[in-house]
Amino acid sequence: MNNTEAKFILNAYRPGGPDAEDATFRAALDQAKSDPALGAWFAREQAHGSAVAAKLREITPPAGLREAILAGGRVSGESLAAKPATAARAFWNQPVWLAAAAAVAVLLVVSVSLWPKRAAANAMLTDFALVDALEPQNHGGHGDATGAFQAALSKDTTRLAGAMPIDFGALRTNGCRTVSLAGHDVLEVCFKRDGSWFHCYVARVEDFPGARAKAEPSFTQSGKVAAVAWADGTHRFVVASVAGRAAVQRLL
Amino acid sequence: MSNESFTQLVDAHYTPLYRFALSLARREADACDLVQQTFYIWATKGDALREMSKAKSWLFTTLYREFLRGRRRDSRATSIEDLPPGEQDIAAEEVDCVAKMDAAGVVGALQSVDEIFRAPLTLFYLEDLSYLEIAEALDVPIGTVMSRLSRGKAQLRAALAREESAAKSKVISFPGARGGKQA
Repeated sequence: MNNTEAKFILNAYRPGGPDAEDATFRAALDQAKSDPALGAWFAREQAHGSAVAAKLREITPPAGLREAILAGGRVSGESLAAKPATAARAFWNQPVWLAAAAAVAVLLVVSVSLWPKRAAANAMLTDFALVDALEPQNHGGHGDATGAFQAALSKDTTRLAGAMPIDFGALRTNGCRTVSLAGHDVLEVCFKRDGSWFHCYVARVEDFPGARAKAEPSFTQSGKVAAVAWADGTHRFVVASVAGRAAVQRLL
Repeated sequence: MSNESFTQLVDAHYTPLYRFALSLARREADACDLVQQTFYIWATKGDALREMSKAKSWLFTTLYREFLRGRRRDSRATSIEDLPPGEQDIAAEEVDCVAKMDAAGVVGALQSVDEIFRAPLTLFYLEDLSYLEIAEALDVPIGTVMSRLSRGKAQLRAALAREESAAKSKVISFPGARGGKQA
């Protein structure tokens, strides 16, 4: 084995790592001990690797990730007990649902007694918005189409609750945040008005049938999140925010 | 799987999985999605895995596959022909450079490495998987893992040097430094 071959193998060696005792490395390690030049290279390589590994260990997951995983896991386990796995997976096609799952279940129960009755499709979209608006760390889109839509929503002069100038397909394919709800795409764009953040959710009417294709704005409040839902014949919209119902009403 | 066992599994692995996901996806929100999706798949399919000792490897493998699956829509994978030159000897001062950098800078450099090298390189530095398990997780031969580590390290060193250079070039301006008078 020449030094080039030894370096190639030693590149994959981590002292104290899971394969430190692996026989694959033995000959190359012996060579590093007996060849000063190779040994010096190996020492620098190990020091560099240790420094990078130490920096990587300093990265910690964001707060709330663990709780979201655990909540999602519990809900998944419970739903699996009642449904075939394929059905459960289709519903939870997008990971953000894992974080929202437990809260949605609670909200659905609460809605029976507290909220006005709404068509199932609108309810599903609104319920998702009410939970998702609390998880802005999961948001984030990009692309020109998204930027244009966001700019339109952010304008003080843009009155919501009517038809919106959007190209659903273009937004979805050009970087707008898209989640899968009951197997259908839902777009989400964050925008700011008067210093408050709002979240606009858009779905195609045909993907969520069962409610009127054209619907007047209806308000929902759950905890600190307020939402307004409407439809323009082509799309269903929900705008949700923690800024309160009055702030949401001012958008209309 | 009981809630207690699931919690133990999450506690044991979600941090290194997040680090791996952050290296791949580059954005915190996407990394969180990947980790959550991985554990969701475990919650729905994990019971089929009879050997719990392989859970860690299974989780890393699943996360990587989910990343590839999600990324396939705008696939821009580096082709083998694009592979850069490999081994270059490391200078002693490069070690000090890493030690002085903050973690975000090092991760930023790691994220700039071509994806084909970034995945094995990150798994290598995380030290959770053996190189055999890395090969399994990435579904490539062991020799390919070693080759990609070698080339990936060369790219990482170049990226770290750029990060350090960029950090040094930052200029801090003082009020009135442009010759203006202060009131």
